[in-house]
Amino acid sequence: MILRNLKFALSSAWHSFSRNLAVSLAAVVSITLILILAGVNLLVGHALSQVLDGFRDKVSEISINVSDDTPLQSVSDFQAQLGADPRVVSVHFMTKDEALKAFTSDPQNAILTQQIEGNPLDAKLDVRVRNLNDVAAIDRMARGWSGVDPTDPTNYQGDFVNRMLQLSQWLELAGAGLLIVLLIVSVVIVMNTIRTAVYHRRKEIEVMKLVGATEWFVRGPFVIEGVMTGLIAASIALALVVIGYEPVVVRFKSDIGFIPLSYDPAFISSLARDLLLAGALLGALGSYIGVRRYVRI
Amino acid sequence: MVLTPDFASRPVITFQHVHKTYSTGTEALRDVNLEVPEGDFLFLVGPSGAGKSTLVRLLIREEKPTKGKIFVDGVELGRMKRRRLPHYRRKIGLVFQDFKLLPNLTVYENIAFALRVLGRADHEIKSKVAEALDTVSLYGKDSSYPANLSGGEQQRVAIARALVHAPRFIIADEPTGNLDPATAWEIMQLFLRINARGATVVMATHNREIVDLLRRRVVAIDAGQVARDDRSGRYHDDFAKSEVRAQ
Repeated sequence: MILRNLKFALSSAWHSFSRNLAVSLAAVVSITLILILAGVNLLVGHALSQVLDGFRDKVSEISINVSDDTPLQSVSDFQAQLGADPRVVSVHFMTKDEALKAFTSDPQNAILTQQIEGNPLDAKLDVRVRNLNDVAAIDRMARGWSGVDPTDPTNYQGDFVNRMLQLSQWLELAGAGLLIVLLIVSVVIVMNTIRTAVYHRRKEIEVMKLVGATEWFVRGPFVIEGVMTGLIAASIALALVVIGYEPVVVRFKSDIGFIPLSYDPAFISSLARDLLLAGALLGALGSYIGVRRYVRI
Repeated sequence: MVLTPDFASRPVITFQHVHKTYSTGTEALRDVNLEVPEGDFLFLVGPSGAGKSTLVRLLIREEKPTKGKIFVDGVELGRMKRRRLPHYRRKIGLVFQDFKLLPNLTVYENIAFALRVLGRADHEIKSKVAEALDTVSLYGKDSSYPANLSGGEQQRVAIARALVHAPRFIIADEPTGNLDPATAWEIMQLFLRINARGATVVMATHNREIVDLLRRRVVAIDAGQVARDDRSGRYHDDFAKSEVRAQ
């Protein structure tokens, strides 16, 4: 009996969808556009978090330049002091020679290397800090150390780090806010589509009620219709986002090279899952609210 | 064969001091008391706006009484939970003046619809629909659409749909209102046949000729009250003292 009811609900939902094709398609197009926006939002969020992760890795490392006349014992004491600090993950000492070697081996510095006489580079203590918020404190500590190079103590960028972190937090928040607004709009669209479908089928609903159909027998086809609308829209949106993803990233990279945006094909599967799930849930929720309001036995 | 209702037995429909006032303030029914035994055939008569349709709506639990109690088959409708409502309505076959057929379904599908919503199997639907079509004497019209049928044929389809799930009660609201006298009479014969098989029939009607001809129980509603209840009555109370009083 459950199977028969399901069969009836499915065929009824499909009939209703195709009978009100114009309204159904309008809903599909609207939700597709919204899900494209949501998909792009997720992709941009993902790319941004990749960029920021790389950035976090970089800024959670601070290089302390060691003055040439600092005795090795002092350096090793300070290295031990840093190493014992719970905020610090690791400390690596790089001698002047190692620093020069690293500098010259970087092809970007090829021209500069030719002009260098001797070794103007400082020895360095590369410190990896556990928490980004503690980088400033380590910087202060380094600047207070007697062995630091007073002309160029550290590579710490100060406020820039905090500003980037704040910006990333705001961007995440804005992305989430936008997503919520888009989802609410989709639910309202589905609700109105279902309301139209209910209006078109009011006679059928009346007859169903009079012959003793249960509330869920009457509501079921509408909820399925909503899920159907959501899933069709999600599939179209997903296809368009996937098709556009790589070319847009390539174009973006060539135009704005300094932002290390990358194409991540592995993310597509999680995007597909999210969009299809969102489409189905939005459809179900919108139609459920719709039929609860307009279909009462 | 005519089944004689047993007025001495426990009634299957009881109205106890029923009042109905709509949210607009209209007082549709006032202190209605009524008992219907199983197998009864009851005409509800009265002028338009007297409260007949309200009484029908209360019976099918589209409305709840403002005051008083209605019992059908031992169950008080006002206290019935919403989820029990579909099960209650399955005991009733409903027939309306405007037929309420679905225009995009064929005759067969319209009748089958009442069984589909109950989740019945295809083979059962097929045999029951054939049986119902036979009862209403509608042959060779299975695949016609309502728009291609006459008023009388449409009402036959509606009756077939109302009885296809073998309900215990048939409630009809002006079933002959849109039909010419000859067709109305044919439709009435159908109701009589259904009643003879044991179904209790409550029919709101304006059709004076039919009521007067059949001489069944007549409950006259006037200004929301039961003005008359004759066990073998006429449309108008021509005889100040009717022969048999039901109560």
